[in-house]
Amino acid sequence: MTRQYEAVYIFDSALDEATITEHLDQFHSLLAQPTAAAPACNHWGKRTLAYPIKNHETGYYVIAQFETATEALPEYQRAVKLDESVLRHLIVLNDGPQPVVPEVTPTETKDGDS
Amino acid sequence: MRRRNKSCAICESGVRVVDYKDDRLLSRFITERGKMLPSRLSGTCGRHQRQLSTAIKRARELALLPYIKGFGG
Repeated sequence: MTRQYEAVYIFDSALDEATITEHLDQFHSLLAQPTAAAPACNHWGKRTLAYPIKNHETGYYVIAQFETATEALPEYQRAVKLDESVLRHLIVLNDGPQPVVPEVTPTETKDGDS
Repeated sequence: MRRRNKSCAICESGVRVVDYKDDRLLSRFITERGKMLPSRLSGTCGRHQRQLSTAIKRARELALLPYIKGFGG
């Protein structure tokens, strides 16, 4: 059974984008599922951290959304945890696309109902 | 004197699931020291206050929000 996940990585900002992409491909290769789509990565880029992490003041943020089987997750988490260049990561169940609040159109009430 | 009941700012903005990555929205619901605002002050409804607290904790872990603002450094 596959589920939707969202992962946020904070990479060491000293790395360049190509290296970061390489690391991401390495991680996401562990998640590959025949039926699932390729992970969608959103690079936020370099940002100042609200507080220092491992004596780094800035970090390179990447957000990945992917679908994978639950069995593949532990191995992937282990690989991300062991990687030195990832300062911190967070994996959450993706709540899916934000449901848009339907526009409430004023319906004409029938005469009998008022 | 009966206190006027504030409305939920998140309901009004049409957001149904509070996104932990939206630090601009989240920072409107923390004090200047970085603590979460109670819903009696911010007027947030119960459902969104629960989502807010989870989102703020996740944002803090990702260093998008500080645990304590203006501490050291």
